[in-house]
Amino acid sequence: MKYYGGCDSGSTYTKCVIIDEQGNIVASVIRKSRINPVLSAQDALDEAVGQVNNLASAKDLAYLVGTGYGRNKVPFAQENISEISCHAMGVHVTEPDVKAIIDIGGQDVKGIAVDTDGTVLNFAMNDKCAAGTGRFFESMARAFEMSLDEFSELSMTAKNTIPITAQCAVFAESEVISLVGEGKPMEEIAAGIQLSVAKRCFVMAKKAGVTDTVTLTGGCAKNLGLKKAIEKVLKVKVVDLKVDPQLMGALGAAEYARIKGSVSK
Amino acid sequence: MKDLKHLYYFEKLLEDANNELVREAQKEGKLALGSVCFQIPEPLLNLPGCFSVRLRAPRTGSIEMGTYYMSSMLCEGCRAILERAIEGGYQFLDAILAPDACAQMNRCVENIERQNLCTKEKFFVEYADVPMKSDDTALRHYVKQMKEHLLQPLKNVYGIDISDDALRKAVEEQNEISRLITEIGDYRKLDNPTITGYEFAVLCLATFVCPKDKLVEKLRETREELKTRLPDERATYGARVAVVGSEIDDPYLIQMIEEAGALVVADRFCFGSLPGRQEIVLNDEEDVLTQICRTYIQWGKCPRFMDTVKIIERQEYVDQIAKEYKAQGLIYQQIKFCDYWGYERASAFHIMREEYGYPVLSIDRPYVAKSSGQLRTRVQAFVESLQVKQLEKQKKGEA
Repeated sequence: MKYYGGCDSGSTYTKCVIIDEQGNIVASVIRKSRINPVLSAQDALDEAVGQVNNLASAKDLAYLVGTGYGRNKVPFAQENISEISCHAMGVHVTEPDVKAIIDIGGQDVKGIAVDTDGTVLNFAMNDKCAAGTGRFFESMARAFEMSLDEFSELSMTAKNTIPITAQCAVFAESEVISLVGEGKPMEEIAAGIQLSVAKRCFVMAKKAGVTDTVTLTGGCAKNLGLKKAIEKVLKVKVVDLKVDPQLMGALGAAEYARIKGSVSK
Repeated sequence: MKDLKHLYYFEKLLEDANNELVREAQKEGKLALGSVCFQIPEPLLNLPGCFSVRLRAPRTGSIEMGTYYMSSMLCEGCRAILERAIEGGYQFLDAILAPDACAQMNRCVENIERQNLCTKEKFFVEYADVPMKSDDTALRHYVKQMKEHLLQPLKNVYGIDISDDALRKAVEEQNEISRLITEIGDYRKLDNPTITGYEFAVLCLATFVCPKDKLVEKLRETREELKTRLPDERATYGARVAVVGSEIDDPYLIQMIEEAGALVVADRFCFGSLPGRQEIVLNDEEDVLTQICRTYIQWGKCPRFMDTVKIIERQEYVDQIAKEYKAQGLIYQQIKFCDYWGYERASAFHIMREEYGYPVLSIDRPYVAKSSGQLRTRVQAFVESLQVKQLEKQKKGEA
């Protein structure tokens, strides 16, 4: 049996997926990224390899593809592919009917339109600023003295939404502190934060050409409050994936490894 | 590929506005004339006794001081040049000639002037109005402006010879450089080019910022070297692209694009060779200044030209060079807050895609963009989509 690997070296989390010759997932790992992407990828690969009986090391993989911001630093990878292409492929093999993705990662937001074969039709991506990304949520949750899950749950209990005007993570934090100081309900502020990020996603989704169905990938896809807000602003149904949405980049990379590994035999 | 013999030498010249060749020419008593726009015809600044230096701000870090004077809503390129002037980076200049082409760049030059950031005794700044149309009236106006705000001040302040003979000499000097750059650039048309977009950008950029006569020898040697240079056996890039848009005075941006898999085969941006490094053909019937100005109006592909003829001409020109250099896709780029390219990029993104059928990547970018991971990801994803399209084409061909 041959195994194929995909390693998504993200700015905040490193993800790794190993699939078999039929494309079934046999191992998956999500780990907090360290400062050095080589070490992060090495750790994730070791852990994933440990989940497969027939593998002793990442060198035993028939083909390995790196993706994510540290994609060219993944040890033993035969090649690297952009996370945009990998997320598209990951979603395609998971839910072939979904034709659009909003990927909210640690430091960027992307809108991706997917072709019938899982390749990218079009994409849009935010610029340097980390507004509306995982980092933004982390700083907001920190201001609320909550975990990300608690923050998400809180936002869904709101009956009203208090708009947040600042998109910059630093300024938004001061705005939130001022609102809390004014005695505004915490859940309504939280809902406002979710809405402001959803609007940011709206821009990326529209730029990429999202029409009817869309799915969320990346770590922030697990934020149910955000999902609800995105459904509201985009007026489309957000499709839930059968596989952890945070693994989509690594899964797509593994699928590319399977395709390329089969061709290069 | 084996490294070009003089690449490192040319790269070093780009590390400082006041580079080795500029200093050498000034020691010989020549005047360094700064310019900030393509629409100041270079031959007018390369008359006997002077040479042109197109201003840029290599190795830019923070641009806080420039931003203080110009606000954060203006072009980073203009702010970076002001920052460099405040740091004292243009003290070597004897004059700056600025067209009223771009209001943002003019604010930058005004700041240099008002704050006395260049302190040579006879240093002066002149502003000239340049046309937004390309008809005969525009040409007459252009000629008049160049005469009154460029040639005459050079003669009055520094006693420069502005005769037709002197202008012809300057044109011939530029033509020699242009012939060399064109010959070198033609290697990008090969199926497997023997020069990269980065290498070419370095050579071409040097011709805008150094005394031209001092570059000829090394450019000739490079041209000869390219005649026998062997390409890599296996192409290391995923697609060929033409880069279009506002000024790129940092070859490392081209390097970053190429590292992401897109070989830059055509350079339709300010500081590029298309157009601008072709020969200026002169006749004996008409005065030389008018002929130079006409050539620059014809060459002008800046979206500042707002007449319909020019707008269509720009699209057709991009189509023409994309075909000539076999580009599979176009990258339209602009420095953030560039007014002209902001509009052009938005419309061209759709027109070149929908009407001309090119895959187009559209980006606005900071002045220093080499280290942008997001930009790198965008380019790589664009290349990957081009590769898929290429495969589909091949499959259809086989079917």
